[in-house]
Parts: sequence; structure tokens; C-alpha cells
Amino acid sequence: MKLALPIALVGLTVGLIVLALFGVAHSGGTVGIAAGAALPGLTPKAATPEQAISNFLTDVQRRNWDRAYSQLSKADSIDEASFIQDWTGSNGSLRTVSNLESFDVRPTHATDSSAQMRTQLRWSTPVGVLEDVRDFDLTQEAGSWKVIWPKVEVPSAPAQVIPVNYLRWDMVQGGSGDEWGSHTVDAPHVRIVSMNAVAFGDGSLVMGEVVNEDTIPAFVNVNATLVDGAGAAIDEENSFDKIAHVLLPKQVSPYRIDFPNVSLEKVKNIRMDVKAALVPASADPVIAVINQKIESEAQGKTVLHGELLNQSGQAVNIPHVIVGFYNNTGKVVWVADGYVDRSLIPQTPAPFAVEIPGALVGKIQNFHVVVNQYSVSQ
Amino acid sequence: MRRTLLGCAVVAMYLAELCSAQEVHVPALVSAGNETAISTTGSGKATLYLSGPGISSKTEINLGEKFILHSEDVRNAGEYVTIVCTDVCRSAVFHVRPSKPAYLTFLVHPSRVPVGQGDAVSGVALPFDEFHNLVLDRVKVSFQSTAGDLRILSQSVLTQDGVGWFRAASGKSAGKLQIVATVDSLSSVRAVQQVASDPCNLRTKAHRTPKGVDIETEPVRDCSGNLVPDGTIVTFSAAGPGGRNTVDAPIKQGIARAHIQTPGSLVISAASGTVMGNEVRLGEQP
Amino acid sequence: MNQLFRIVVFVAVLVAGTISLKAADSSVKIQLDTNKSGPRAVESRTEQAIMRDYGTAWTMMARALEFNTIEPLEGSFVGAARTWLNDSVAGQQRAGLTSNYREQNHKLRVLFYAPEGDVIELRDTADFQLQIMDGAKVIYSEHVVRHYTVLMTPGADRWIVRQLQAHPEF
Repeated sequence: MKLALPIALVGLTVGLIVLALFGVAHSGGTVGIAAGAALPGLTPKAATPEQAISNFLTDVQRRNWDRAYSQLSKADSIDEASFIQDWTGSNGSLRTVSNLESFDVRPTHATDSSAQMRTQLRWSTPVGVLEDVRDFDLTQEAGSWKVIWPKVEVPSAPAQVIPVNYLRWDMVQGGSGDEWGSHTVDAPHVRIVSMNAVAFGDGSLVMGEVVNEDTIPAFVNVNATLVDGAGAAIDEENSFDKIAHVLLPKQVSPYRIDFPNVSLEKVKNIRMDVKAALVPASADPVIAVINQKIESEAQGKTVLHGELLNQSGQAVNIPHVIVGFYNNTGKVVWVADGYVDRSLIPQTPAPFAVEIPGALVGKIQNFHVVVNQYSVSQ
Repeated sequence: MRRTLLGCAVVAMYLAELCSAQEVHVPALVSAGNETAISTTGSGKATLYLSGPGISSKTEINLGEKFILHSEDVRNAGEYVTIVCTDVCRSAVFHVRPSKPAYLTFLVHPSRVPVGQGDAVSGVALPFDEFHNLVLDRVKVSFQSTAGDLRILSQSVLTQDGVGWFRAASGKSAGKLQIVATVDSLSSVRAVQQVASDPCNLRTKAHRTPKGVDIETEPVRDCSGNLVPDGTIVTFSAAGPGGRNTVDAPIKQGIARAHIQTPGSLVISAASGTVMGNEVRLGEQP
Repeated sequence: MNQLFRIVVFVAVLVAGTISLKAADSSVKIQLDTNKSGPRAVESRTEQAIMRDYGTAWTMMARALEFNTIEPLEGSFVGAARTWLNDSVAGQQRAGLTSNYREQNHKLRVLFYAPEGDVIELRDTADFQLQIMDGAKVIYSEHVVRHYTVLMTPGADRWIVRQLQAHPEF
């Protein structure tokens, strides 16, 4: 009796060791709970499409690529490296420094043998949370649901030589011993072209457009100070990343400044200030924005979508789209922005979309898209 | 009675000591960098302190002898306090004024200016002596500006409180504007880059190619005929059945070009800054 | 006894009259008149900034000369004014002297404000209590009125004193 418990514990231990060694060997996985390895019996079986997609995205979230790959239908015909790259990104894109934070799954269609699940993916990135909606098709295979992975077409441009002869501006700093007034280069002349303050939610927004009127590039920031009836400043904010900061000569950018907790009713005056500094810059890359359209999408949201086409010869690592929307009098009524989490490969279009608040859709007559970009090589 | 007399004597001695202390004589006004002297009365040893702009010194002296202030002691214009101490300290104040102009500080703005703008260029000249003192006496400053061989400005002013200034229009042609400020034999030169103004008559043309649509502007000039600098952005917009396409294209050698791959009929326009160009309508590819 | 007491008091008063009391108040008061500013008018925010930064400059200057250190001058002075003050501090250090500028009042008047706003010239009629000490001994203590011509130029986040030149009143 005394020995019963110790014997039972030893037996259980030995049994688990045997299971680990030989059970894993049979399934062809690696020893232990390594990335992608599945211990039979310890993973919820994908008995339903919801469970299958949930398992799949959990593995993606944890970067258990082997396990995620094993949940694909006809995995033999899918290149695992391309599959992983599709999730992790490449070319220094925003995706390469992002993590899948969470996801929501909702079935859109299901039968006994096939299903479609709509997932809302939330990525945490250095520039904030990015949301993505993706539809996954699933199929029944050998008693469990598998994810149908579309054939991943890795875009590539044909080999070619693209001459780069656009203008580049560099700066030479003056010496510290320079005589007063002998070597001064004026800061770029930048002007706020328009300003519109609106109430939004519980707060206020100030938006408009700014133009670089000078012949040299400018690094631009727009600040706004909300002032009450007594002349006291209520709050001060700047445009942060809702502006194209580097403006080339005669380039126009929309801007938006958010005051989330300040009601417009308290504001009697707004002091605008634009700061511009000299920066080195290049007129390359030229990025075309093609096929821009405002449409309603399946979830009922209205978006402006289109494609970005990098017409230069080098990849653009992190593109950022900023859009100014105008009403029929040309007034800026909304400014939206969005990061594209894929890099822009030369000569290859990449899609983008920015959402438009429903209340403003009827007012919008026109829009202007500006592409900001952050590249390691620039 | 005796105590009263003793007290008065003590007071009188104290007052007498005060009245017979050393005196300090300083020059009324010294020109910067000019050697000068301080004289004292009395006899015996004393300590001379000099406190002024850029100088703070302490020297043991013999009363009754002159104390020389060398050129470097009085190089900065301003107010100097001389203190001579024995048992009591006596002081005197003198001023050092700037000497004659030795160089000009010349501030000109802006460093870049669009052509053909009134009162667009301004300059401020400040004369300083060799010791970096601002010369407050009125001096005549002449300003001249030339663009190539063309003289744009020739003007003379008298400085007021050490400052002379001018304001002038920019020239009509892009290029370097040279501005010279002169005081006697001193001069200071600055250059302002005159650049083209906003584009005028932005004209666009477009034609279809097998690979899409090529769009380009005619040479982009301002209203004075100067070519707009390279790198200036022209935004091309092409609206068609598939949506709108835009490209921010930089000007190269006066012309901005873009290529758009899109089928269907198009309405093409261009803008640079706040200047709009013409519209070009392109039919469908046959 | 009463007479001796009166004499002692009389003498004490006399002696006290030759020693300056060390002022504990080192506040700086600034007034600025921009009515005759030209060719450019002084904007109200610039006016506030000039008053603030000129006051700070004098406070820092007083601190530098009182404690014989040039660190307080950083950020408030440049050019000839900075050089003069650096040399003054160095001279004081060598001679074992210190200076105190107390109870400062500055009445500023704008003489010139450049068209591009890159330099402003002011006339400062300053009065303050100036005390010069050799170690612990006060060698000079006077209420001083001085007239300065001041040049200030805009820095990254403040106006900086470039020239601080005293002269007889005119």
C-alpha cells in the first residue's frame, strides 16, 4: 500500500516518456514541443471550421510555422517558405516588424464539406495597430477541417536597368566659426493653404492642406493651439504622422490634427503654426497611385482603395498613404491615412485602402492621395 | 563731560579719516584700445581694482603714481569701475567708447527669392570696430546689388544707433544676385539666389503608347519666362473608367513626365503647388 | 551713561552707513516699449519672448558673476557678449573677486527690428544694486544706472543676447 503511489507515479512518468519518444517519431515531428511540432492528443481537434481557423491563426500568432503549415489543405503543393514569408513580410516592410496581436472569426458560409470564415486580424506594429480583414476557405479532409491556402504569387518585375537621374538635395553644414550673417540658408517657405476645424466624436479635428512654396525640400510639421474665449490655450497638438513630412518643391500634403478630448464648443480661436526645416531629400522614388476608387465593401464600410506602383528601381520599405477628401466647394472635409504593410517592389502594384466615415461619404466630391514612404536606402 | 569729549573725538577722527582718504582720477572718455592712465592722490600702498566689460583685475599700487591701462584692458566698450582701497575704498567710473569701424556685419535675407517680387530682399549692416564693439556714431553705408551686369540697387544711408538697412525688389531673371555693403574702405558681400516664381501657363500633352499613356508638360516657366527649377513637383492626374490615377513627378530640365498604364478614355490634368494646368482628353485606344 | 549710549548709537549709525547691506532680493524686472519699433513691428508673442529671454539672460549673468562660473551663460549669450562675460568671470576668478547684481530694473525700448526678424536692437536703461567683493570684503556697493545698447538674435527656442554694450546716456 505504501509503495502504490510511488509505483504509479513512476509508471506514469515512463509512459509519458515513451509517448514523447515514439509517438512524435510516428508523426514525423521533432522531439518536444518545438515550433510546429504537434503532440497527438494535446491539440484541440479541428472538428469545426471555427476551431480549425482558430487553431491555424493561433499557430500563426505564435509563429509555430510547421504546425500552421500542417493545417493547410494539400500542403505538399504549397511552398512552405513562401507561405511563411506571406505572413512575416519581406524587404523590410512593416509586416517584418509586426506581430499578430489578436483575431476575430466569423463564419460567412458553411456546408458539411466546405466553409468560408471571415477573420479580422489585428497587427501590432511600430506605427500602431493595423487591422486587416481576410477571408479563409476551409475544406473537410480526413475527418478534420483544413485551410485552403491560395497559391501565393510572389510578384517580380522582369530584369531591367532603371536609370535614376532624378534630382537629389544634400546639405552642407556651416562651420561653427562662421562670422555672424556670413553663411545663412533660410528655412524653406511653407504655407498652410487651408484649415477646417470640425467636431468629431467627443473631440475636435483640425485639417487642411500645406504647400511647400520653396525650391528646396522641407521637413514639415503643422501645430495647432486651441484657444478659449478668454484667450487661454486649451490644448496644443501637432499633425504627428497624418501629414507627408518631407515635401518637395511645390508639393501639397493634407494634414490632420486630432484633439480627442476637446469639444469644439469650448474653442473660440485656433492658432496655426507650421514649422519647416531644411533636409536632404531625393525626388526618387516616384510612386504612382493607380485605380483609385471609392466603393462600399462587403462589411458595409466605405473605403477609398487603389494601388501603389513604385516606378523606381529600389524597393520602398514602408509606404504610407495620406488622403485629403474635399466637398463640392473644394474644402477639406476629411483626412485619412493608412500604412501598407507590404513593401513596394519596383514596377509591381500593391493594393491600399483607407476607410471613410459613413457620415461624410455623401459630402465627398473629390480626393487627393499623397504617398509618404520610409526606406532604409533613402 | 570728559566722556562726551572723548566720544566726539572718536567720531571726529573717524570722519577725518574718511575725508582724507585717497582720491581716484579717471579719464572721462576713452576710445577702445587706446592706452590710458588712472591717477591717484595720497601716499602709501593701496589696492586698485578694475571692473568692466571683459575685465576684472586686482593690482597693488603706490598711491600718487599713475596706473597705466594698456590697450587690451580697455578694448571692450562700456562702463568701467575703478576702485582704490586702503582702509577705505574710493571709486570712480569712466566709459570706453568704440573706435572707428573695422569690419561690417551684413545680414541679407532671404537666401533664395522668387524673381520679380517687390521689397523681397532686405539687408542690415552693422559696423563694428576691431574689438567687436558696435560703432554707434553715424557712418555712411552704401548698398549695391547686381545680377550679372545689371545693377538692381544703389543706395546710401547713415546708420542710426549702429544700424543701416535697405529693402529692394528682386530682379527679373533667375540666377545669383550679388549685394555689397560698403563703409569707407570696408565692404561685405552676400549672394542671394533668385529662383523662378510659381509656374505660369502649365501646359500638358499626352499620347498613348503600346504600354500605356505618356504624359508630359511643355517646358514649365514662370510668368517672367524663367524655367522652374528641377525637382519641382508636378502632380499629374488621369481620370478614367477604372478610377483615378495620380503621379507626383519631379521636373527634369524644365519638363515633368509620367507614364500611366490604364486603358479607356482619360481626362488628364496637371497641377504644381496651387497652380492648375490645362485638361487633356484622350480617347480609348483603338 | 545716557550720553555715552547716544555716542555709541551715533557712531554705529555712521559706520553702518559705510557698509552696504547685502541684498537678498535678486529679482529682475523688465519693461519693454515697442511703440517705435521699425521697420518691422514687434509681434506680441515676440514681445513676450524678448522680455522673458532678456530677463533670463540677466539672471544668468548675475549668477555667473556671483559664483564665478560660465555655465549659466550657456544658451543666453553668444558672440561678443559671451566673450566679454567669459573674460569677466575668468578675471574675477584670477583676482578672487565676485560681483552681485541685485534688484535689477530694466526699461527696454526697441530701436530697430530687422525686416526679416533676425535681429532686434534695444536700448536698456538698467538700474540695479552693484556690489563688488574681494573675498568677503565689500569693496564697492552702489545703486547704478547704466544705459546699454543690446543686440538680440533668435535662437532655436529663445532670443539670445549677442551684444551688451554700455555707454553714457545720449
